[in-house]
Amino acid sequence: MTHHDCDVLVVGSGAGGATTAAILAEAGHDVLILEEGPWVEQGEVRPFSLAQMDKQYRAGGVTVALGLPSIAYTEGRCAGGGTEVNSGLYWRPPEETIERWRSRYSIQDFRTDDLLSICEEVEEELSVQKVPGEHTPSSQIMRRGADRLGWKNDEIPRWMAYPEGAGATEGTRQSMTKTYLPRAFAAGARILCEHRLDAIVRTGRRAVGAEASHDGESVTISFRDIVVCGGAIQTPAILQRAGFRHRIGRTLAVHPTVKLSARFENEVNTPDDVSVYQVKEFSPNISFGGSASHPGLVALALTDNWRDFGRAVTSWPELAIYYAAITSEGRGIVQTIPGVRDPLVTYRLTKRDRDLLGQGLARLAMVMLEADAEEVYPSFKGAPVVRNRADISTMASSFAASKASVMTVHLCSTAPMGDDEKRCATDSHGLVHGSDNVYVNDAALLPEAPGVNPQASVMAVAIRNARRYCDERAG
Amino acid sequence: MSAVSELTTIDTPANTVVTGAAGWLGTGLVAALAGDGEYGRGGTIRGLIRREEGSSHLPERVELITGDVTDPASLDRLFDGLTGDIDVIHTAGIIHPVKSTNEFDAINHVGTRNVMDAARRAGARRVVHVSSNSPFGTNGARNDRFGNDEPYHPYLGYGESKKDAELAVLEAVGDGLNAVMVRPPWFYGPHQPARQTTFFTMVRNGKFPILGDGGQVRSMTYIDNLVQGIVRAELTDTKPGLGWWIADAEPYTVVEIVETVGDALRAEGFDVKPNKLKLPSLAGAVAEKIDTATQKAGRYITQFHVLGEMNKNIAVDISAARRDLGYDPQVALPEGMRNSIRWCLGQGIEL
Repeated sequence: MTHHDCDVLVVGSGAGGATTAAILAEAGHDVLILEEGPWVEQGEVRPFSLAQMDKQYRAGGVTVALGLPSIAYTEGRCAGGGTEVNSGLYWRPPEETIERWRSRYSIQDFRTDDLLSICEEVEEELSVQKVPGEHTPSSQIMRRGADRLGWKNDEIPRWMAYPEGAGATEGTRQSMTKTYLPRAFAAGARILCEHRLDAIVRTGRRAVGAEASHDGESVTISFRDIVVCGGAIQTPAILQRAGFRHRIGRTLAVHPTVKLSARFENEVNTPDDVSVYQVKEFSPNISFGGSASHPGLVALALTDNWRDFGRAVTSWPELAIYYAAITSEGRGIVQTIPGVRDPLVTYRLTKRDRDLLGQGLARLAMVMLEADAEEVYPSFKGAPVVRNRADISTMASSFAASKASVMTVHLCSTAPMGDDEKRCATDSHGLVHGSDNVYVNDAALLPEAPGVNPQASVMAVAIRNARRYCDERAG
Repeated sequence: MSAVSELTTIDTPANTVVTGAAGWLGTGLVAALAGDGEYGRGGTIRGLIRREEGSSHLPERVELITGDVTDPASLDRLFDGLTGDIDVIHTAGIIHPVKSTNEFDAINHVGTRNVMDAARRAGARRVVHVSSNSPFGTNGARNDRFGNDEPYHPYLGYGESKKDAELAVLEAVGDGLNAVMVRPPWFYGPHQPARQTTFFTMVRNGKFPILGDGGQVRSMTYIDNLVQGIVRAELTDTKPGLGWWIADAEPYTVVEIVETVGDALRAEGFDVKPNKLKLPSLAGAVAEKIDTATQKAGRYITQFHVLGEMNKNIAVDISAARRDLGYDPQVALPEGMRNSIRWCLGQGIEL
């Protein structure tokens, strides 16, 4: 049996964990990071590929939140977490969202200016920028279709470093393994990859140690404080297993998405990149963007009506996949089951949510037709092939959310922060209610889904909380 | 707005042909065109009316041709002997069928196709088709607004027929016709039919069915605003095949509508009972199911249709009409409802 000792144990190395580790280590705390997944160097696997799903995602890529319809979701599971595999699109948390969270959840010291100034830091650190050179065909399609409809659309900057004048696919992703993790290591932090946390040992309000496993062997860790940053599904599961229940895992929030594939006259498929254009004409309710369109994923997207769509798979180079995402009124539950490795996740869409998904998919199909798509294949059971506006009418009439392949990548809010104890699982800075030294510092803290790609929000909140921690406890 | 000044206005034509002239909208429209107000115009104004329709309420200046949009031969008569430019405003349509839901397709869809064909044969200069919100269904969320270009998602039989009508117009445009479309949601105002009068009576008696919290949002169109929209669509030079939402400036919530009507009635000296008829949203869902089922069987029951629809959000954004046509609605709900009530009283209608 191996034993490790540290001041602060950070569980998880994604957008929340890596920033926490860097800030704490730089303030002189002895930080140990526990990461369940492997360390994968960028370039080792192809971005947005099936090989990547296998290696850097939990459960080979897809897990399911049960409900009507069930919602498939993905979680990164590697050093750097979701930042290694996501679309890399950067959105500051909208100011009205920050203000709403502050007042609705009684979050103390949650000032818009402070958060936005942290965002500026993050933008510098991750070299957030727009594509200097040429855009991929899938980006151009989104922009062209939206422009012709007069719908607001924008290029979303990414955390990418590009050689001068480089095109969209020539950048290097400034993920956590390239940025905050090296910073943490430089300040003395250590990481244990492929170590799964099995249990937190508690004495009353205090956590006193952790038990983990690595390659079939047991590992024990002692610490002064523990910060759980396992993401919106794993964080509540870890806390529940440690006996924390209050508001933990009860309010999962996601951005549900529905998809379609569109076939064009020319080759448009870029397997290793997604569209950097998003359509925000109907935001925050509905947003459109591009999805990973690797040939395997194209095949997957056509399975909802394989009888009519299957023939399109051979022309995959002419296909690209797009999504319509909504802000959902529904909420989900993350519940651990004794003896079962992964928690049970359920999610319930409201009627509004289901209606918006249908409306979003129909509007997205309009964008595709305007961008000169020859055929559109919506991802729901029995969907018709769409070639013109009359077909969209048929599609809209036969759509039901229960037939759709609804999925999400933005999961949050399973341990919401705020001084309103009735609504929140942690205090305004991530300390779990009912505990003296167990913190949360990841997407679970965001009290609601932010309506935009959430990584920047997660990082800004995590950095804010980590600094507060350092102010209160000298290293 | 600077954009307005860039719009190119077309002169009024020698001949203006209005289908559905004796209908609610048609009556208001020909009254405005034949009158001496802002939209009054010279030249010939010709209206299509059905044999059974009365015409004593129409201005004498309007030449009336008896016929039916379902009868193409009668539509050719509508254009007989006209010389000079002809504009066509197609208002004829059916919302609440009398006999069977088959009337939707026969009148709204095939009828529109017939009118477009006749207009093309007559060499019409510009055609304005009066469409509806119903080809586009309902908004998924209360704060959603229909943009000017939206996917079709027709609501039941009426919506299906009005969608097919739009497609027929677009087909005619493809064949060279200079036609455009206006899309007014739920219009109101003078000349309104009896069923809208029932609405006033229900509000007066405190018995208008409010579903749930009554926060559903609805765009409405006062008839004068609609006349303005139609005329601007006719007389502003634009690409053919376009369509615009024509409505009051902002949508209203159902509660707001009921309260405004109540206030307008009170202002006219009526005793208005507080509204007591609050129904659970479920009642709307049930009514919608009954409506859907009966329509499938070819039948149509107005009460279920209206109640089913009351639970929906139908809210539109008129900014494209402002931009492309210089449309600028002058009347909002309080004034519009008061005018409607006064008109009813002037007609000796009991509320």
